[in-house]
Amino acid sequence: MAGMGNRVLAGTDRALDLLRELPRLSLSNIRSNPKAFKRNKRGRGQHGGKKHGAGNKGSGQRQNFMRLGYETGNNPFYLRVPKEPYYKGHHLRREYPPISLMQLQTLIDTGRLDTSKPIDLSALCNTKLFQLSPLENQYGFQLTDEGLDNFKGRVNIEVQYASEQVISAIERNGGVITTAFYDAPSLIAMRDPMKFFASGNPIPKRQMPPENAVEYYTDPKNRGYLADPDLIALERFKLAQKYGYELPDLKKDPELLPMMLERKDPRQIFFGLNPGWLVNLKDKKIFEPEDEQLLEYFRS
Amino acid sequence: MAVSFSNFCCLRRLLINSTSCSRAYLSGFKSNLSLEKLYPTSRLDITTIPKAPESKDGKFSGYIPMDKIQVNYVRSGGPGGQNVNCVSTKTEIRFHLASADWIPEPIRVKLAERVKNQISKEGYFIIKSERTRSQQLNLADTLDKLRNLIHSVAQSLVVPEVSQETLEKQRRLRERAARERLREKRAHSMTKQGRQSPTLDS
Repeated sequence: MAGMGNRVLAGTDRALDLLRELPRLSLSNIRSNPKAFKRNKRGRGQHGGKKHGAGNKGSGQRQNFMRLGYETGNNPFYLRVPKEPYYKGHHLRREYPPISLMQLQTLIDTGRLDTSKPIDLSALCNTKLFQLSPLENQYGFQLTDEGLDNFKGRVNIEVQYASEQVISAIERNGGVITTAFYDAPSLIAMRDPMKFFASGNPIPKRQMPPENAVEYYTDPKNRGYLADPDLIALERFKLAQKYGYELPDLKKDPELLPMMLERKDPRQIFFGLNPGWLVNLKDKKIFEPEDEQLLEYFRS
Repeated sequence: MAVSFSNFCCLRRLLINSTSCSRAYLSGFKSNLSLEKLYPTSRLDITTIPKAPESKDGKFSGYIPMDKIQVNYVRSGGPGGQNVNCVSTKTEIRFHLASADWIPEPIRVKLAERVKNQISKEGYFIIKSERTRSQQLNLADTLDKLRNLIHSVAQSLVVPEVSQETLEKQRRLRERAARERLREKRAHSMTKQGRQSPTLDS
């Protein structure tokens, strides 16, 4: 479109005209910007010759190097610290930074956590009082039993690990506790949802727990998110007997019941949002994929 | 990727205003790994409270009705400074043993005999625990003690059924042991008599 009426040809118009004339873009007619990459310097040829990049005398020129880590006789750094069996596989061990029941009660009392909605990892991170670093092998939060006796909150909480007495403390007050697994990319999305939505990536689907964690998350005793809810009901009853309290009937409170029973699908990361959806906060719109293959992928 | 432009904000507001909904059904996302697919035969209901097992035929089911037990929290003894002086961590449970219907009659009678030193004048059986630093864990400990006690009393009441052959075998063994003992006794007596000097009469 060469100019619309009396309009002066702008830069874009000239560029588009040029593009129309030029040959098709291919690998043979493009080149990188200058200094985009560095050419490998080899000691060959006229100006790479004479010393061939090996310097003067010494082990460098004579290609007789000392072994890596050698410190000319003194005890080298890599041998100074003895190997200890206790840290074998430490880089593979998952960490769960603790949140005590006392802290949780304080958060509820001071209004930092809303008990009328389910509390999950996002809610805890949104208080900005707890940080998670998936790069340091941190996979979520564990609920510890400090403040066990004085915990009075009625919550629907989802953490990554909780011991038996903590589970009893939550259930004794009429709450619901679930332990769930989140893989590192999901965790990064969850700990700062606003930042994730601003990144413009579709919500990923949550991965299944690794092999050594499957047993934990499928066990009703741990209230795992992959366990059979009927067996969880039985375990709730047994725990009430063990710790000496009457198991509160969740159905007695019909207004709170839907909130208490609210659970994420094993592939879901955010409540009310599906994997595959793209959230645009600026325009307050959500985009979802239409393609059957994509829908199948996010549903699988 | 074929992307459809759908404005969910209006839809969401509509759903929120609807009276018959809960937030759980807003997105209604069910993947292939949802609990319905993992456990197709399950009712998927964590709110069901199972019926308490009954103690019948003189056997204790293990169920302790908490409404029939009084729980008391008092301060523990021992060292500990301000914490032990201010925090009530010692747990005491008590119930009237004679009127405890949840314990079968024969077990109740034997239990009353076994723990007569821990029964108050009014007939209340008291169990205490200050094993841990937590009230709840101590309460669990007291209940554990109570259950173990009842179970051990129940075990002692169970008379094992012995067969005729075993009774016969035991009778024969006892008689053989008696015969052996008498034989050795007689032999020993003869030895001692042999050491006596002979007299005119023998």
